[in-house]
Amino acid sequence: MDGVITFFSSQQVMKAEKILKKNGFEVMLIPGPREISPNCGTALCFEYEKKKEIRSTLENNKANFEAIHYYPQAKKFSKWVE
Amino acid sequence: MEDAIYFDNAATSWPKPASVIEAMKHYIEDIGGSPGRSGHRMSISASRLVEETREAVGRIFNFSDTSRVIFTRNITEALNICIFSLVEPGDHVITSATEHNSVMRPLRFLEKRGVLLTIVKCNSDGTLVPDEIEKKIKKNTKLVVLAHASNVMGTLLPVDEVAFITNDRNIPFLVDCAQTAGAVPIDIQLEKYTNCILAFTGHKSLYGPTGTGGMCIGSGINLLPLIYGGTGSKSDRDTQPDFLPDQLESGTINIVGLAGLKAGVDYILKTGIHKIRAHEKKLVDIFIRKAIQINGIRIYGTKDPERQAGLVSFNIDGASPSDVGFILDRKYSIMCRIGLHCNPNAHMTNKTFPFGTIRFGFSYFNTVDQVERAISALKKISEKNTIN
Repeated sequence: MDGVITFFSSQQVMKAEKILKKNGFEVMLIPGPREISPNCGTALCFEYEKKKEIRSTLENNKANFEAIHYYPQAKKFSKWVE
Repeated sequence: MEDAIYFDNAATSWPKPASVIEAMKHYIEDIGGSPGRSGHRMSISASRLVEETREAVGRIFNFSDTSRVIFTRNITEALNICIFSLVEPGDHVITSATEHNSVMRPLRFLEKRGVLLTIVKCNSDGTLVPDEIEKKIKKNTKLVVLAHASNVMGTLLPVDEVAFITNDRNIPFLVDCAQTAGAVPIDIQLEKYTNCILAFTGHKSLYGPTGTGGMCIGSGINLLPLIYGGTGSKSDRDTQPDFLPDQLESGTINIVGLAGLKAGVDYILKTGIHKIRAHEKKLVDIFIRKAIQINGIRIYGTKDPERQAGLVSFNIDGASPSDVGFILDRKYSIMCRIGLHCNPNAHMTNKTFPFGTIRFGFSYFNTVDQVERAISALKKISEKNTIN
């Protein structure tokens, strides 16, 4: 997974995770990378090629988030949990 | 406690559904973590639980924006946050003469600081005509606060109509749903009435534990915290975040309490709020119809279950509420609230100040048989009182 969604609050992360999973997206909770956002301690990583669909799913469900980033370093997380 | 009858549900509900106790135990034994603070599985599970509790409470109020479902220690804190955020010296506030001290005391405090307060009189049965509110609106009216139901008489106030009036004029409207959330459906749709706030307590008709409460905030309302501190977000700054829910929820949240609250709310959603309302109405109806026939019993409020929440206030002529309460508890194992119910204005409205009333607060777990046993106890007390 090479994309990361960052949030302001853990409430936003929980809501977004639930909505994305319900809509069939594969997402994983990771510690929020400091270099892209100092905000919420938790972020969601996902396949960056799904960026468009993910953004519209979040927006359609009124799920707030901070930003969506291309972050290839996130690949390490899926590797570590293999 | 098998034979004991608990009619003090308007103070706090008992019993709680078994699932409430299970959920709290489950949190302590199996979840454990601090929500929103860490990224490990126990913390994440706790964060999920908090979000699911927001969703569940939101469903009671038909409100899906979980970022605006805020948890506080109790409804008093939620009401205080709203009142202190929305009103400044020179502003005008409208409320009714049937409000609880959780509303009146902050307002009286602010009055001393230069806030102008209009207390709209209610009829002696606690009813209020919405026009009376509308007539009092001034240019500088910055807040209208009303209970959905009086905690003394149970009388429902016309909050739907008032929401329409305040929405029209863009005035924030705070509704104290302490006696109704979970037991009486509320029609105010926050998606439409964006300047409304619905405040709730967790430990009464939502069947959660004490230490839980909060509010659902319409999107047109901006509030300020009463308490500042850690939120798990924006940790690179030493200033309070300005987004919800974090802005208003500093410090570790009462997660074990919320676990119980979620189970209580799930119980209501599964049972159906209309079924609960119908049951409580039936108990109120039977109680009023039978009690009214007892010599010397005076019932306050509308005496109409349709216009009441699930509680009834009454007195026995010539007997002090405290004596009746003592006899009901010690001799008949019936527990209820007696005296002044943190609401001097309502007692002045129904002319029961300063002695107060005897209040029976019913819940979904009370039965017709319990109401009938209480009626027979009151008959005996009343007869003895007449003889003496």
